[in-house]
Amino acid sequence: MGNAFFVVWRESLEAFLIAGILYAWLKANDDTGAGRRSLFLGLAAGVGLALLLGWALLGVQDELTGEALEIFQTATLFVAAGLITQMVLWMRRHGRRMKAELHAQLAAAAQRSGHLGVAVVAALAVAREGAETVIFLYGMAQEGDLQGLLIGAVAGLAGAGATAWLAAKSLARLNIGLLLRLSSILLLILASALLIAAIDRLIGAGWLPPLLDPVWDTSMLIDDTTKAGKLVADFSGYRARPALSSLLAWATYWGLVLLAWRRTGHG
Amino acid sequence: MKHALLSVIFGLLLASGAAVADDMPTFKLLMKDGRFFPEMLEVPANTRFRLEVKNEGPGATEFESLELKKELVLAPGVTRNLVFFPMKPGSYKFFDDFHPETGQGRIVAK
Repeated sequence: MGNAFFVVWRESLEAFLIAGILYAWLKANDDTGAGRRSLFLGLAAGVGLALLLGWALLGVQDELTGEALEIFQTATLFVAAGLITQMVLWMRRHGRRMKAELHAQLAAAAQRSGHLGVAVVAALAVAREGAETVIFLYGMAQEGDLQGLLIGAVAGLAGAGATAWLAAKSLARLNIGLLLRLSSILLLILASALLIAAIDRLIGAGWLPPLLDPVWDTSMLIDDTTKAGKLVADFSGYRARPALSSLLAWATYWGLVLLAWRRTGHG
Repeated sequence: MKHALLSVIFGLLLASGAAVADDMPTFKLLMKDGRFFPEMLEVPANTRFRLEVKNEGPGATEFESLELKKELVLAPGVTRNLVFFPMKPGSYKFFDDFHPETGQGRIVAK
């Protein structure tokens, strides 16, 4: 039961955090509620996608389809990282203008380009983490302790929701300028973590050379094979023994983001 | 978005080209009751090898290692293969992400 709680909490947390931060942002500058509606639609779609993906992962044992799923999972990581980044930069452009422009205009702009992105990001976040949760719960159900499983899973889900709600609420307390900056930075960190996970998958599958592996070893400091270390790794992209290719991808990502960040700041 | 699509295509191309040679040494790893059997695998260094991971349950398991860059979710009763690329001599940790307390193991490349 304790294990079910922890696994469900951790698997759902990332999805809920992304949703919570988006929610806080939408609440601050979208009066119509349309953005929040697309957020919830996206979350619901994500649950459906997670069930489908979990079912596929359970049913498929063939090598080839196993590989196709692996590619699909890696691709969702890239898409999610890219979309979140693109949205944050979009937010930044519009957050700048917000003071000068009428609120209605901003809402109209958000309607056009932001809402589909919000929905897709939410759906991907849920689907990615959800698929593993589905398999984990399915496996636990085979073990027979259904009551303990149910309590653990529901508590884990509620715990993740509460964690993200607290994060979103404390973000929303801030003034809008600070909220935008802080939520943007958090989302970018999450996006970079997704990117590192994707790069690692490519290296692990042998599709990308690691170049130099590992570049350093900080497992004495933070060991990413422990529960807590894994949590840090999942949310920040931290690796105790990173490959050079991962480092390069990480540096390139932040270089490009900083460049775009500055540009949107002046424009 | 465009980059993401490109990487998908790139991945697909590479996958189709990656024919796996069958003379690779194969090692077996059993996952059972949240534990690994054996907990220490000795493999030759600088050699490609295949790891056949079987989950005998009960429950789902996840073979994971950030340093080996592998992640594999296994439903109970499922066997899957992982191909490892030549590694330098050393000890590499892996764990069962669904049973992190008991499921810890390592690969020693010699």
